[in-house]
Amino acid sequence: MPQRSPVADYLDALTRELGFDRLLAHRVRQEVEDHLWEATAANGDSSIEAQARAVRCFGEAREIASQYAALSLLRQARRSGAIIVLASGALYIAMKGRVAWYGLMQWALSDAMQPVGKVVLAIDRTAYILAFLLGAVGWAYISSRRVSPRFHALCRAQLKRGLLLAMAAACPMVVSVIADAVVTALRYLEERPPVSVFFIPVLSIAIEVAFAAVLVIAIGKTLRNTLRASSLLSS
Amino acid sequence: MLKGHLDMIVLAALSSGPSHGYAVIQEIQRRSGGAFELPEGTIYPALHRLEQAGLLSSHWTTAESGRQRRVYALTKRGTRALADQRAIWQRFADAIGGLLGHPGHAPAQSGR
Repeated sequence: MPQRSPVADYLDALTRELGFDRLLAHRVRQEVEDHLWEATAANGDSSIEAQARAVRCFGEAREIASQYAALSLLRQARRSGAIIVLASGALYIAMKGRVAWYGLMQWALSDAMQPVGKVVLAIDRTAYILAFLLGAVGWAYISSRRVSPRFHALCRAQLKRGLLLAMAAACPMVVSVIADAVVTALRYLEERPPVSVFFIPVLSIAIEVAFAAVLVIAIGKTLRNTLRASSLLSS
Repeated sequence: MLKGHLDMIVLAALSSGPSHGYAVIQEIQRRSGGAFELPEGTIYPALHRLEQAGLLSSHWTTAESGRQRRVYALTKRGTRALADQRAIWQRFADAIGGLLGHPGHAPAQSGR
């Protein structure tokens, strides 16, 4: 059975350890592969011993991966924070656009539906303000953290706090989108207007749902990658 | 001590022109007379971090071997950051040199 190449084994191990950021793992693998083969050639030949020496001088795969973790995960968390702020803006524009459209069409809720509409709108407004405030605080917090060269306990705690704030903002944002969808559905069920009239409200709700979905996916991905990095690098 | 100054060392190694990771390590060893012994892989996260901070730029090239190679270069911000760090280091080195160079001269007391 042919002996495995220490360089190939090392690259596999490093790619595994960098599983918290697949794009980064791909880039680092290519870069390190070039380094290790050059170091092997500098050791005289491409023998197993020369490869093993190059790998030894490079350092432990886990240790190297941990030095990438802080920057990568902070970048992911910052991206989630930016999405919250962006989504807040999009929701605001969609809500205002819808209200302006209803005004233009002189389309009001009937007296019978007014009480329900008021309650849902109050929930919507409160949830939106809460989401915006928590999102802004979370974004400001994670953006002001300095990049640590190591994935140590303080760095993990900061990421955890940033992600908790992002999740705390995402929940009311989802509630706000649901409330908007409920009010819009109530209006539709009441009057059953033609598509040309109802198109703008449906489009605005679709935009809100899309932003909320992107936000939830981004936070989920960052959370998963942070947990993965924590378990990989602390074991 | 070396770890605390790694960013400055990497920036200094790139001051002579664009280079890839392996060449940066060779340059550090050459210019330091082999005084610094750290795992070679430590350089790559530092390069990545400095690039994210806007102090370095990078692009892929194809080496003679046919392998993909990432080449790094100092940006204007990186050049300024290196000049700042050089000045800070020089002041620190002068101060320590003054202290260690004249054992008979005690530093001025603060009056306590």
